Amino acid sequence: MRTGTREEWLAARVELLEREKDLTRRSDELARQRGELPWVPIEKEYRFETDEGAKTLPELFERRTQLLVYHFMFGPTVEGWPEAGCPGCSFTADSLDGAVVHLAHHDVTFVAVSRAPLERLNAYKERMGWSFPWVSYGDSDFNLDFGAFTEEQRTTGKGFNFGTPKHAAEIDLRRDELHGLSSFAVEDGVVYHAYSTYDRGTDVLNLTWQLLDRTPKGRGDDPEGWPQRHDEYPA
Amino acid sequence: MRIGTREEWRAARVALLDREKELTRRADELARERQELPWVPVDKEYRFESDAGTKTLVDLFHGRSQLLVYHFMFGPEYTAGCPTCSAIAESFDGFLVHLNQHDVTMLCVSSAPLAKLQAYKQRMGWRFPWVSSQGSDFNLDFGVSFTEEQQRHGGEYNFRSFPTMEPLFEAETGPIAEQAVATGTDPAGYMRQAPGMSAFALSDGVAYHTYSTYARGLDVLMSFYQWRDRAPLGRNEGDPPQLWLRRHDEYEGDR
Repeated sequence: MRTGTREEWLAARVELLEREKDLTRRSDELARQRGELPWVPIEKEYRFETDEGAKTLPELFERRTQLLVYHFMFGPTVEGWPEAGCPGCSFTADSLDGAVVHLAHHDVTFVAVSRAPLERLNAYKERMGWSFPWVSYGDSDFNLDFGAFTEEQRTTGKGFNFGTPKHAAEIDLRRDELHGLSSFAVEDGVVYHAYSTYDRGTDVLNLTWQLLDRTPKGRGDDPEGWPQRHDEYPA
Repeated sequence: MRIGTREEWRAARVALLDREKELTRRADELARERQELPWVPVDKEYRFESDAGTKTLVDLFHGRSQLLVYHFMFGPEYTAGCPTCSAIAESFDGFLVHLNQHDVTMLCVSSAPLAKLQAYKQRMGWRFPWVSSQGSDFNLDFGVSFTEEQQRHGGEYNFRSFPTMEPLFEAETGPIAEQAVATGTDPAGYMRQAPGMSAFALSDGVAYHTYSTYARGLDVLMSFYQWRDRAPLGRNEGDPPQLWLRRHDEYEGDR
């Protein structure tokens, strides 16, 4: 830390503001570019287990025209299986309920999707006190299809996050749950895949990270045992 | 919209990924730069009314070394909190535990009397701490409340001076007029408050102001916008943008 006068702070702050504004403009520009990605029609039929019974992908839209899917890691290779979902996804999910209510009222349906059977999802959801919709894709190829985008990736299971190297060795797309976000649109009864992002592509959806970035000490070195599932912190 | 093949999509997506990664790195760099801002000791004594009685700024840290204040727009004459601030605050209860475990206390501060804040918080079903700065200069000093004199003859918001707010009060429709109605005030009354967030640090018993942000600096707190920025049609608010946000108990029907 370095202490200063109000004048010194203000001069530094105003200079930083220019760079913050530039970042906001770049972020707007990337949102615009996302809107220019081609839409890929989905021909395959998927089945999801939901609280209202089995549903197809078009049915998950709930009559809205846009669908955001959060790929929540909850399957046999996840820490906590079979009782609990991934701690990191649970950390991000603690930012979800407050946003979901506002998405639904402006033509966007949100749903979390995992491999675990529906009753496991519901039990964990109740434990964590969440209310966002959460469905199971079971044994279908849904996660593989929205994580592996080439034949080679489908065959080898390698290539998470478009083949960026960071997790290349440890993630097998055929077997492992993945953490990410996919977006879909429906038009004239046809469902299109529009966008997917993984890894730090979901950083801005986790409000804890965003707020730590504005604290005096930042993300810093994580305290031991942080983050955890919100009901697992010592009292 | 434009329809394409999986291969076309993948090529465009990978090109975009590089730009997204560049943005993430810049965001990390700005977070680092924020930590280099000098800390300014807070010399003034502020008093806040809280659920547990009168508190000083140092008390608000609640035993932790960092404090984030969301300046929630709820002026003394409001009958309900600002709908947009309400949409932001909607998320707080979910994640505050993680900040608390990372040595950060976060709470909301407004200039309305505590009883109004408590009643509204109960209506909305929220649990996060929310204190009243009524009677202190806290909101004025941190740039989120304005006097009638400033509204008429000029003041400053978001580190930039404005000559007068009066032209903004004239529109009978649009976001300002709508939010004024929603908060039980008129446009001038509504705009005597403004949104912001401030950060403080506590060291050897001294509270320091480290950071404040306003206007679109709060975009990252509006996670519903961040999600929409990744939806097929984006924010999709019309031109000029229409205010579609409502308090969660004021939406009509199921969509």
